[in-house]
Amino acid sequence: MKKTILVVDDFASIRDFVCETLQRKGYDTLGAANGTDAYQLLAQQPSVDLVLTDYNMPDCTGFELLKKIKSNPTVAKVPVIFLTTESNPEKMRSAKDAGLLAWIKKPYRSETFFAQIENALVNG
Amino acid sequence: MDSNQKRFVEDALDLLNELDEGLLQLEANPQATAPLEQVFRTMHTIKGGANMFGFENIGNLAHHLETLYDFVRQGKMQVTDGLISITLHAFDKVRDLLQEKDATKIANAAELNDHLKIAIEFLKNAESTNIAGANQTKIGKDELATFFLRITPTINITQDGNHPLVFILKDLEALGTAQTFCYSNAGNEVANWDMFLSTTFPQTEVESYFIFVDKECRLEITHLASGDLFGCKEFVKYIDNHRSTPVDPTALFELAQKSAAKVKTDSVQEPDDETSSKNKKKNHNDTYIKVSKRKIDDLLNWISELIILQAQLVNTSSGVNSQELTEVTEHLEMITNHLRDTSLEIGLVPMETLVTKFKRLVRDLSKSLNKKVNFLSEGADTEMDKDLIELMTEPMIHIIRNCIDHGIETPDERKAKGKAEHGTVKLKAFNTNSYVNIVISDDGKGIDKEKVLAKAIEKGIVSATDSLTTDEILNLIFHAGLSTASKISDVSGRGVGMDVVKQKINDLRGYVTVKSEMGKGTSVHIKLPLSRSIIEGLLVKVDETRYIVPLNVVDRIDRINYENLCLDNLVNKSVLVNEELLSVFSLRHRFHAKTNAPKTTDVISVTVNGVRKGISVDRIEGKMQTVMKPLGDVYQQQDFIAGSTILGDGSLALVLDPSRLFQMSNN
Repeated sequence: MKKTILVVDDFASIRDFVCETLQRKGYDTLGAANGTDAYQLLAQQPSVDLVLTDYNMPDCTGFELLKKIKSNPTVAKVPVIFLTTESNPEKMRSAKDAGLLAWIKKPYRSETFFAQIENALVNG
Repeated sequence: MDSNQKRFVEDALDLLNELDEGLLQLEANPQATAPLEQVFRTMHTIKGGANMFGFENIGNLAHHLETLYDFVRQGKMQVTDGLISITLHAFDKVRDLLQEKDATKIANAAELNDHLKIAIEFLKNAESTNIAGANQTKIGKDELATFFLRITPTINITQDGNHPLVFILKDLEALGTAQTFCYSNAGNEVANWDMFLSTTFPQTEVESYFIFVDKECRLEITHLASGDLFGCKEFVKYIDNHRSTPVDPTALFELAQKSAAKVKTDSVQEPDDETSSKNKKKNHNDTYIKVSKRKIDDLLNWISELIILQAQLVNTSSGVNSQELTEVTEHLEMITNHLRDTSLEIGLVPMETLVTKFKRLVRDLSKSLNKKVNFLSEGADTEMDKDLIELMTEPMIHIIRNCIDHGIETPDERKAKGKAEHGTVKLKAFNTNSYVNIVISDDGKGIDKEKVLAKAIEKGIVSATDSLTTDEILNLIFHAGLSTASKISDVSGRGVGMDVVKQKINDLRGYVTVKSEMGKGTSVHIKLPLSRSIIEGLLVKVDETRYIVPLNVVDRIDRINYENLCLDNLVNKSVLVNEELLSVFSLRHRFHAKTNAPKTTDVISVTVNGVRKGISVDRIEGKMQTVMKPLGDVYQQQDFIAGSTILGDGSLALVLDPSRLFQMSNN
């Protein structure tokens, strides 16, 4: 069965770009423009296999989204990956403590990107 | 521009409007957090998008501005009118650029650089005034360091596994020059990886790659030394000997320290650049204003008039025996010189944009050629005339292409030669006197002199009996239609480039020299005058007229009998000068034939477009630095004259353009 990935980025062109890249690899994708939308979407469709989100977003940041997901037992098991330009080690550590699976830095290498995603889908 | 880039531009334009809105709100309520957060986030998004879609210069600018607002968020800085206005101006420029929807134009936009510079200065000020120990944004020189990483997986993993850890190692290798050894245990699973990495990224950043795999592996990281230890043979040999058995970290550290000390003493021999001392002079509390280029040009024009006038005054007053007058003229001379130097500096901008562009070029090119190349820059804050930067971009891109295409070997070849897999292309810029120096070097295979010479003989550029010095042979690469690459790639073509490069540099009255050592690399040294209107030349006299021959093309000067020049009856129009046949253009013959000729004539040998020719004049009066002025419209057709200059005695001298002069004589 096709795996579904929820891509969260407030910047539409990046979101679409990431979605297209993933679709070409044979994944189903959903898009959301911020953490709040993403969380609602996830609550409706708990079958999402992976959440791929930006860090800095209006209203609800990636970090807040992560905390929400991990504190809701129905979706807490969905792995979350950050895809972001942010590279502050402190932030990376606290996100990990909050249950983040991986941190992919933008701009990314497609090899690493897909390896991380596949790994998350298999082991996450 | 591809469709993704177009989408980005559209989105970014919307974001820029939001940003404006936020900035204006912030200006009205400097203490409010909501607009501040919005501004910060919007900039961050623009940065991410710009980097992702290949507009790194915009990304870089947004990054620096974002850092400023991050300081505000952390309470280390206040929102000021200055901060808001530099941000507005910078993003106005970005908006203008994006609206053009022309990817190359955006990538080449030098204007962004001005804004970047302002942002960096602002950051520096902020740091020096109230922020101690904040994360400094270093520009100009990259800080290289070599690390040793021992990664011990705690899970069962094979070397070719699809585990993220394997790819994290590859990402790390891409941060600089790296050598990784993988040691396996009995079950063919990875016991540990040892990685030697020299990179410009700080240790915390390197470590952060492992945050999300800390359950899968153990990391030991050692900062071995600052600098690139892959440049040290002993070190490379040492790690090479440990392909099958892991190194002892303590012994390695000791060796690294020793090697680093050696690398340091080795590099002392490099020409001392004056950038560091110059930078210190820069006032940290400077503020910037934007001035139109036309105003600066006008100012320079008037100052050059002043210089001419001042020279006339010195000349006139030397005839008058007056202590007071001498004092005044001397004082005036000093002030004029200061004024000249200061005014020349006004139009200069740092060459950072070029560096960003080159970084990108090196990355893309090395990828498409399957080579591994690091690009290091030094002195990116060196200032150059803005027009000069634009004119030099193409030639420098060509040189860098050559470095990567012909210079740097493939990783396998490099390994076989005992070099680091990653080649290095280095750009170094510095000022000396009134020149900008740019050195582009690589550590590739160097130029094969024998091959160049053989090719040149084959093409009939030189004869087999000529004995050429090393420099002369290397200079042949600037000759039109000479390429030694046995395989022609679509990257640097068939040697139609280097002659054009040289021509362009000559047009700017600069110099280019090349040094190369087989197996060790090549370096191209470009020296350009800081100002395009100040010219160094030989002042010569023909009959009663004075001419100036630009010094950068002059090879040698010989004095011969005038009769030897009378070639009207001969078939061969060449003259024997310094036991060499030279095609000579006689200024007297062409323009002053009616007056009586002197007994001897001075022949100035010049190299134009790779061909050596002679210009004969009556007498050489000396070397001089002078301000070149354009001739009026009436003389526009006479393009063999580049311009004119007024001499100290008030008389006029014509500045010759040798390449056009010969073109004219050929027709």
